[in-house]
Amino acid sequence: MLRVLINQIRFTALQAIFLVAFLAAILAFLVISQSIRQLGRFGAIDNLGTIMVVAVIRELGPLLTALIVVSRSGTAIAAEMATNRVMGEVTALEAMGIDPYIYLVLPRMLGAIVSVATLMVVFDAVALTSGFVAAATTGMSLTRYTGIVLKTLSAGDVWLTLVKGIFFGAAVAVFCSYHGLAVKAGPTEIPQAVTRGVVATIVAIFIMSALFVVIAT
Amino acid sequence: MPEVAGTPPLVYRDVPLLGRPDRLFNLTLQPGEVVAAVGEENSGVEVLGDLALGLVAPASGAVEVFGLPIAALSYYDLLVFRRRLGYLPPGDGLLQNLSLRDNVALPVRFATDHRLREVDAKVTQLIEDFRLRAIAGLRPAQANEEDRRRAAAARAVALDPKLVVLELPFVGLTSRAAMDLLERVSKNEQGGRRTVLLTSRDLTPSVRGLVSRAVRVVDGVASEDVK
Repeated sequence: MLRVLINQIRFTALQAIFLVAFLAAILAFLVISQSIRQLGRFGAIDNLGTIMVVAVIRELGPLLTALIVVSRSGTAIAAEMATNRVMGEVTALEAMGIDPYIYLVLPRMLGAIVSVATLMVVFDAVALTSGFVAAATTGMSLTRYTGIVLKTLSAGDVWLTLVKGIFFGAAVAVFCSYHGLAVKAGPTEIPQAVTRGVVATIVAIFIMSALFVVIAT
Repeated sequence: MPEVAGTPPLVYRDVPLLGRPDRLFNLTLQPGEVVAAVGEENSGVEVLGDLALGLVAPASGAVEVFGLPIAALSYYDLLVFRRRLGYLPPGDGLLQNLSLRDNVALPVRFATDHRLREVDAKVTQLIEDFRLRAIAGLRPAQANEEDRRRAAAARAVALDPKLVVLELPFVGLTSRAAMDLLERVSKNEQGGRRTVLLTSRDLTPSVRGLVSRAVRVVDGVASEDVK
C-alpha cells in the first residue's frame, strides 16, 4: 500500500510540477501585466496585490491545479479502477479477504490529497514570482511589489490553500475511483467511466470552490 | 467467526444455481476430498465458486463453509472469513501492476500480522514450491498462461487454507501442467490433504485420477458421478 501511495505522489505531484509551474507562471504574468496596465490608468496600482491574492492565489490557483490533476491523474485513477474491476482483480482482492477500498482507493486518496496540496503551494510560489517579473517590466521594484502583495496576503490564505488541497485532492480520488469501480459490463465501459469520473470531479471542485467563498465571507 | 467443529468444509444445500426452484443443487465436501464439478457453460457450475466465497448469496437454500452460512455474514466479517479459504478465480485474477512474486505475497502481507522477514521467507517458499523462481519478477502480462495460473494458485494457498476453490483452473493448460497444479494445491504445508472444489468444463483422464469425486452439473443439478 505504501508503494501505491508513493507511486501516486510521484505520478500526481512530481511529474506534474513543471506543467503546474509553467501554467502558474503564464497565468500570473498575464494577469499582472494586464492589471498593471489597467490599474495604472486610474492610479490604483496598489490594488495589484488584491488582484494577485484574490484572483490568482485564492481562486484560480487551486482551481487550475485541481483541473490539471483531474486531467492527468483523475483519468488514470478512473481507468485503473475500471480495469481492475473488468479484469476481476477487485473480486480477487475481496476473495483474498482484502478490502479493495483500503487497498486500492485509500492510498490513491492520500496520494491525491498530498499531491494537490503540494502542487497548490508550488503554483502560488511560481505565480508570485512570475507576477513580480511582470511587474518589474513596468519598472516596479521588488520591495514595492512585495509590500503590495503582502498587504493583502495573510496566513489565512495559506491555510485556505491547504484546506482546498485536501478537499480537491480527495474529490479527485473519490469521484474517479467511484466511477471506475462502478464499471460492470466490460472493457468498452472504461472510457465512459473515465469521462463520468472526470466530469463529476470537475463539477464537485467548482461547487466546493463556490462553497469556500461563501464560507470564507 | 469460529468454525463449527466436526462440520464438512463446504455444503451446498438446495441451492438454485440457475434461479429455478425446481432445479436445486446439493453437494457436500468432506475434509481432504478433492471434488470436481464438471459442467458446460451456463450449467450453473460457474457460480459455485462465487457462492462458496460468499461473493453472491443463494436465492434460497444454504451454502455452509465450515458449518457457517456464509451468506449471512456481514461484508467485513466475510472479508476476514475468506482468509481461511483459498480461491483461484477464472483466468487468474492477478493484479496486473504487481510482479508475480508480489501477487503471491499480497495475502500474506495484508491478511496476516507476519513480520516483513517472515513474509519474505513464506513467499520465497511458495515461489519455490510452485516453480516460479525464474519468472517471479515478471508482471502477469509478461508471463505465459501456465505461469500465471501457477502464480495464482500459489497465491490461493499462501495462507495455507483448509478449503480451496479453483474455478476453471485447467483452461489452456496441458494435462501434465494441470496435474502438477492440482497436486501442489491439494497438499497442505504439513503434507496432509486440503479440501478442494474445482470446477471444469471437462476432465482429462490424468486429472480424474487425482480427484476423489467428480459430479456433472447439468441445468443446475449435480446429476451423476462422472469419475
